[in-house]
Amino acid sequence: MSAARVGALWVLLVATGVARCLSQDYRLRVDTRVQAVAYRGVSFDSIPVGDTVAGPGGGLFTPDGYAVACNPNGFCTFYRAGGIVHAAPVTTTADLTVWGLGVPGLSVRAIGRATGDLSSGDNWAGTTSHLQLLEGYAQYAADWWTAQLGRQTVETRFGLSGFDGARVTLRDWHRGLEASGYAGWGLWQGSALPVTSPALNPLDEFRPPERTILAGAGGAWTTSRLDLRVIYQREVDPSTDYFVSERAGVDAVVRPYRGVILTGGADYDIAQGWWGSAEARLAYTVPTGRLSTSAGVRGYRPHFDLWTIWGAFSPVPYTAIDGTLDFRPVPKLQVRTQGEHYSYANSETATPLVSVESSGWRFSWGATYTLTKAWAVDGGYHAEFGPGASSRGFEGGVTYAARNLSITAHGATLDRPLEFRFDEASLNLFGLTADYRPMSRLRVQLDATRYAEDRKRPDAGAFSWDQLRVSSRVVLFFGGGSADGGGLPPAVRAMPERGSP
Amino acid sequence: MTARSGLLLVLCLVPSSARLAGQERQGFDHQKHAKVFASCTACHVGAVTAGASMWPDPVSCAACHDGTIQKRVTWQPRSREGTRTNLRFDHSKHATALRDKVVGCTTCHAGQGAPWMTAEAPRAERCLDCHGVRVAHLAAPDTACATCHLPLVRAQRLTIEDVASFPKPPSHEQPDYAAVQGHGRASQATGANCAMCHARDFCLQCHVDAPERPSIQTLAPDSRSLAIRATLRPPASHDDPAFLLGHGGSAKAAPERCSACHTRESCLSCHSATTRVAARLPAAGPGRSTGAVVSRRRPPSHGANYAERHAAAAATAAATCAGCHARSDCLECHRPDAARAAGYHPRGFLARHPAAAYSRQTNCSDCHNTAGFCTTCHASAGLVSRGGQLRSGYHDFTIFFSAGHGQAARQSLETCVGCHVEKDCLTCHSALGGRHINPHGPGFDPSREIKKNPQMCTACHGTAIPTQ
Repeated sequence: MSAARVGALWVLLVATGVARCLSQDYRLRVDTRVQAVAYRGVSFDSIPVGDTVAGPGGGLFTPDGYAVACNPNGFCTFYRAGGIVHAAPVTTTADLTVWGLGVPGLSVRAIGRATGDLSSGDNWAGTTSHLQLLEGYAQYAADWWTAQLGRQTVETRFGLSGFDGARVTLRDWHRGLEASGYAGWGLWQGSALPVTSPALNPLDEFRPPERTILAGAGGAWTTSRLDLRVIYQREVDPSTDYFVSERAGVDAVVRPYRGVILTGGADYDIAQGWWGSAEARLAYTVPTGRLSTSAGVRGYRPHFDLWTIWGAFSPVPYTAIDGTLDFRPVPKLQVRTQGEHYSYANSETATPLVSVESSGWRFSWGATYTLTKAWAVDGGYHAEFGPGASSRGFEGGVTYAARNLSITAHGATLDRPLEFRFDEASLNLFGLTADYRPMSRLRVQLDATRYAEDRKRPDAGAFSWDQLRVSSRVVLFFGGGSADGGGLPPAVRAMPERGSP
Repeated sequence: MTARSGLLLVLCLVPSSARLAGQERQGFDHQKHAKVFASCTACHVGAVTAGASMWPDPVSCAACHDGTIQKRVTWQPRSREGTRTNLRFDHSKHATALRDKVVGCTTCHAGQGAPWMTAEAPRAERCLDCHGVRVAHLAAPDTACATCHLPLVRAQRLTIEDVASFPKPPSHEQPDYAAVQGHGRASQATGANCAMCHARDFCLQCHVDAPERPSIQTLAPDSRSLAIRATLRPPASHDDPAFLLGHGGSAKAAPERCSACHTRESCLSCHSATTRVAARLPAAGPGRSTGAVVSRRRPPSHGANYAERHAAAAATAAATCAGCHARSDCLECHRPDAARAAGYHPRGFLARHPAAAYSRQTNCSDCHNTAGFCTTCHASAGLVSRGGQLRSGYHDFTIFFSAGHGQAARQSLETCVGCHVEKDCLTCHSALGGRHINPHGPGFDPSREIKKNPQMCTACHGTAIPTQ
């Protein structure tokens, strides 16, 4: 953990020092979060058949009450309660922008993170490696072209792909045309780490020995009625020169009438030779915003890199239709509801011994009533049923929001049966969240939530999973701009942080 | 009465009557003294003689008001310097100019046929008549104002209350007068004379582009002009419910129209980037109004569950998103913080994530690295298989789950990978050993995969990769 602390301090000092020395101005946002969690997992165990005892229903149990599954080799296996795992993840994210470097249009952007686990081990997911650079690049922006060099992410329908390299974008403002190309050493899916990082290989599986090379190109056309973008992206393993992935995609947003938006897109997996995910959605919002509704259809097919064997197992796609409705019958009341039904394509598997759901649905509704300017009540219900797991439950909360203070008391109840595991459970959750801004350059958040679970197993596997999770967050702003501005535009300062009340 | 004496009467009465509302009236009753005085200028010498006092010497009053003939009075003439007026009228100059005209004091200070010594406050219409202006006083063209009036900044004796009581011209009552086609156009017309009633401070109540507007900069500053309150109201175009969605186009086309009321900070209230449009608006600072205060709100398209379906819009036109969102907004969810309590997912999502994960309600790997996040967490909870002989016990709801897991695996292979490693599957699904169970199913194209990356084929087939 000391590495993380030193790292955070280093990032802060160096960033601030460099910014002050070289630039006309800078903005720095430091966001620190700490969470304390204690939870109990499971531990695999086995017992000779001869040591088991018969239960009330005739099934076999361990002498201390765990139901067991016996193998032909004379041993029975089961999962007993694991030890209580303590975790205290702490992260500090520094977001720095520097401009005014003597060349008009030149700026430097960096978002770095120091992370670790204050508990005895790195038990918490995502706390290694301790120092991560999410983005860090120099950008030169002119009227008709922009160049970026360094660690960056590019947003496409394949997700946010990260890489260390260069990106050039050419644009014609008048015609709404844009073309871009990028290439560099890739970062692995959903992370700021390369595929070679041990932090992304907890079970010591096969990984490419070198970082992949990511390259892509795209074009876009934007008009008042249409946004269209096509993208091609490939990833290559330089150690073998084999493809890791090769995909092409298209996205479009059409605005035929006021308030009507049609969005759609599809991608084709060139490497696998099949269509990947696709979707189309028609949305309508009345100009006043009092009613918003949409209906969509989508197909989802998982994507696996070619250095894994998973693509050869022929994962099947599913097709879903869904609808949403969000309206305000009266100004103080907002009601929202959405539902989706999905069904998988034929997996062409014969499973005479096991029956698995091949379709599912989910539905939810909720409402928010603003009692006064300061008080609001929110509640909702959700239910979902599908292969593997289901859940249903209510949630609600009361929020008091003053000028610089917001407090929410919330609670929820949940039932969650699992299809493949004898582990139905009901969960009650309640907590308190506070968000306080004592000054424009400082923000403090606190959250404490209690989980109380009742597992409905008829054996000793129904161990307690109750836990209390406490988290805190401090956000500090540094940099130029007005004294009370924190160096950030009002838009950023006023932007509701995700997860805040 | 001769014409000359009549003129003199006019001239002498004008100063006493040319007062603005609220000014204290003097107590002299002209009608009571009608039989005493034969001419106006006997008392009001200054009306015809430059430099002479407009008011009689109190000693002359005492000739009658001596306590014997008449009761004593304590009247004192007003100081001319104390007169609170914005009139530029000069009696003696008028007397000189009108020496040959049949114009007397009564022409302005008494109505036609009024008895002698009637002394009324002159009405502006009489001035306008003589000066050839054939409209009502307040409807007179701007070019006519300076004939009689001083600009506000030069009428230094006027108080804030005096300025506040200025009558409003009918033109200012027009519904669109606050708009650019109203007062804006009028202020730029030839001969515009806003300065009669207004000063620069008045304009600064609304105009953030004051330093760039010559018509405002030509006005001198004067804080008294703030006595006339101006309220910034959104123009009719802003009432259109679709204005929020379409304001970008009009702002790009003519940012100068926005700059009357909006500073750059207006843009930045919602748009996180300093866009090209914002750069063309003035930044807030001294010499400018605060302007319109904009409050940030979600666009109508961003409904309650927009986070779940923003992908297409973000992938298609990221520049549009960048209008309001900073880069860190994306990374907040797409590169989630290990210590965050809640975010994209609702509170308590951990407890219900199996259902969403099995069916990939949203693509988990858009934000999470399934190995570094899912598998690592499952490992710490004891929920992973580390390869080798598959062990029963976890999927305990169905006795023979392992034997019939194919459908579940093909439907939700990403979920399986959260706990299982390749070696688990190769126990059975390998051409090199195990049970030689072929895992290839619908859509599998071996020739294409061999071409793109034969490496994965070797995991099961070794170097003897079949071509079909």
